[in-house]
Amino acid sequence: MDLKEKFFEILPEVEKPGRYSGGEWNSPDLKKPVKGDMCFCFPDLYEIGMSNLGIQILYEIVNDQKDFRAERCFAPGLDLAKKLKENDIPLLSIESKKPLKDFTVVGFSVGFELLYSNILYMLDLARIPFFAKERDESYPIVIAGGPCSVNPEPFKLFFDAIVCGEGEEVDLEILKIVTEGKRLKLKKREILEKLKALEGVYVPELYREGERVKKAVIEDFEHAPSLRRPLVPTIESVHDRATLELYRGCASGCRFCQAGFWYRPIREKSADACFDQAVSMLKSTGFSELSLCSLSTSDYSHLEELEGRLNEFCDEHRVYLALPSLRISSFKPGMVDKSRRSSLTFAPEAGTQRLRNVINKNVSEEEIDKISVAFEAGYDSVKLYFMMGLPTETDEDIRGIAEIVRRLQGIYKSLRGGRIPNISVSCAVFIPKPCTPFQWEAQISFDEMRRKQNFLRGLLSKIKGVNFSWHGAETSVLEAALARGDERLCAVIVEAYRLGARFDGWTEHFKWDVWQKAFENCGLTMQEYTRERAESEPLAWDFIDSGVTKAYLLLERHKSREGVTTKNCREGCNGCGALSRGRCTVL
Amino acid sequence: MKTVKFAKLDSFTFISHIDMLRHMTRILRRAEIPVKRSNGFNPHALVFFSPPLVLGARSFAEYVSIDTDMPLEELLARFSASAPDGMKVIRGFEEDKNPNLQGKIVASDYVFDAPYSPINIEKFEISYQKKGETVNEDVSSKLFCAWEREGKLAMRLATGNTNLRPDRILSELNARLGASLRVTDIEKIAQYVEIEGKLVDVDEYLTTIEMI
Repeated sequence: MDLKEKFFEILPEVEKPGRYSGGEWNSPDLKKPVKGDMCFCFPDLYEIGMSNLGIQILYEIVNDQKDFRAERCFAPGLDLAKKLKENDIPLLSIESKKPLKDFTVVGFSVGFELLYSNILYMLDLARIPFFAKERDESYPIVIAGGPCSVNPEPFKLFFDAIVCGEGEEVDLEILKIVTEGKRLKLKKREILEKLKALEGVYVPELYREGERVKKAVIEDFEHAPSLRRPLVPTIESVHDRATLELYRGCASGCRFCQAGFWYRPIREKSADACFDQAVSMLKSTGFSELSLCSLSTSDYSHLEELEGRLNEFCDEHRVYLALPSLRISSFKPGMVDKSRRSSLTFAPEAGTQRLRNVINKNVSEEEIDKISVAFEAGYDSVKLYFMMGLPTETDEDIRGIAEIVRRLQGIYKSLRGGRIPNISVSCAVFIPKPCTPFQWEAQISFDEMRRKQNFLRGLLSKIKGVNFSWHGAETSVLEAALARGDERLCAVIVEAYRLGARFDGWTEHFKWDVWQKAFENCGLTMQEYTRERAESEPLAWDFIDSGVTKAYLLLERHKSREGVTTKNCREGCNGCGALSRGRCTVL
Repeated sequence: MKTVKFAKLDSFTFISHIDMLRHMTRILRRAEIPVKRSNGFNPHALVFFSPPLVLGARSFAEYVSIDTDMPLEELLARFSASAPDGMKVIRGFEEDKNPNLQGKIVASDYVFDAPYSPINIEKFEISYQKKGETVNEDVSSKLFCAWEREGKLAMRLATGNTNLRPDRILSELNARLGASLRVTDIEKIAQYVEIEGKLVDVDEYLTTIEMI
């Protein structure tokens, strides 16, 4: 019996077998003879992984090649993992049901610190040794990429190569080089040397002190390969729709936001290119929903033109056009009229103007009041996102959150004759991240998180009709420790996995005691990583060159301490340094 | 109204009925088949299915009825070109009105992938889990007949309002046959409606019988 048959036999016994069965529309032709293949791995469940835009883009790029094929693998649920082990089946790709171990390249997309343990979970099931140095020529070259490549140190020992930055060009290059290297029976080290020469590729084993790794950037985003035939999930996934990326980067410069600095320079696509791509995606998938996706969609220069054209197309084809990630300051009455949603989402992030200036979230009180436009248009639910534990935060700032809620209720009442709106307040804990002006900041202590959460809950409980949710303090501490970690954390992650850590991003699976024990067993503490860093202290990720200079980040940090804001990049260049990595199209 | 008879194979045997419905809308959109919509506050596409298939089983007799003015031949060609590999179009039918297969189908034929041997279907008691509780049931009345088909065991089971899921009889079947059948060994080959007390194959019903 072949592996596929054996695998299909156990599928009826697991939850949602459609996660693993494959056969999605727009899957590649499995009969095409290829020279090399790559398995894209996403260390979370199918429903999450299928919603990842990065994987879909890279997958299509590889599958568009004559001689190469891309397949996928997501983290199997715990029930399937158990069955795989019991039935002696290694982890298989979704498309051809081929063991990961037999691919030319295995590439992990790492987008979130709490997925680190699941990298090992997948390697373990795939029967691939954890550490790159334990893998000889008989194994695939195992690489990583994705947003966490901002600081690859905590997971660097698991990978032969790590793509820092955008993978559209470099991933395919890697696949070609490895395929050729394997054909010529080169030593693994020789292959790695060739990979190291590529811009954006970090080869931990060959790294020499003092070297800088330049982030890979798609300079010509307008003409870069764009997603046209996304896979259509067979079972419902988290984002079950076509997603259109309007631009990379962000002009706002919020000081806590890693993506806002990491994805610079800002590169916008023309409305023509966006429209064209949207139509291709909708026609090739049959999706009935299209979402516009960028770091701050409503700031897109050609939004009005694009929206007009898309609205027309979507009306005619019964497609629902969703506009997520709206900033209050760019909110216009017309935007609400078209959509049929009853709930709006806004992120003021901090409760007072003073603190919003510190974090450079340039949203003023008057602008928050603009939600009245939505209330007038018939909306009666508002979701508000805040953070707590921001640098310089006091209880006054927490009180400010409750004040905003009260004010919005007041506005609603005056417009809607005394009724109250549904207001949800979601408050995350601030996590200092690499490649931001706050990369030196301390995270507040575990006890302080609890105290602040209780304080805010107390304040909000006095206001009628408010729903309050918050992030777990435990996962916030772990995420912070891993985000600014160094290579010593590789051992901690292995230890945590050994002790049972899996799916740490899922509340029902997260095991706080396991992670505490893992740090302890390795002679480390999380506090060592969540503390404030001296400005003179070398940082684990200093060797990564994102374009944005350390001097600029430092300057921004100092400005934040003085409560001085920085203007939006659209109003003029602030000199962050990203221009060295390509043209900023909003200038 | 047009009805497409299709097979559900390979990876698509693991797609649940509800996911199938979502998928069907997308196939029709990709194929650019104009589907009529219901009137009312929340209009929906007029697309109707035969009863759900058990997850994991193959089928060569699934039906979907679509309210469209597109000529049948064009519809079948477009549908085929836009359906994933796990769904194969078998044939098409044209009717004056919705054949309401979901409501009318009363029986289905299944082939079980085990060498045929005569089997006693009297006093067929099964036990299965339903909402966390063990149910014991004598299903003889829902088990119409058994016969040999290409060397394998075939059975006709009640489907629809009175329903017998083929996976639920597996353990009893295995005990009686000394086999080790799994849900992936089940294949649906035909479905029936009841007309004047007689079972009529859906294909025949859609082609020759005047609809009631």
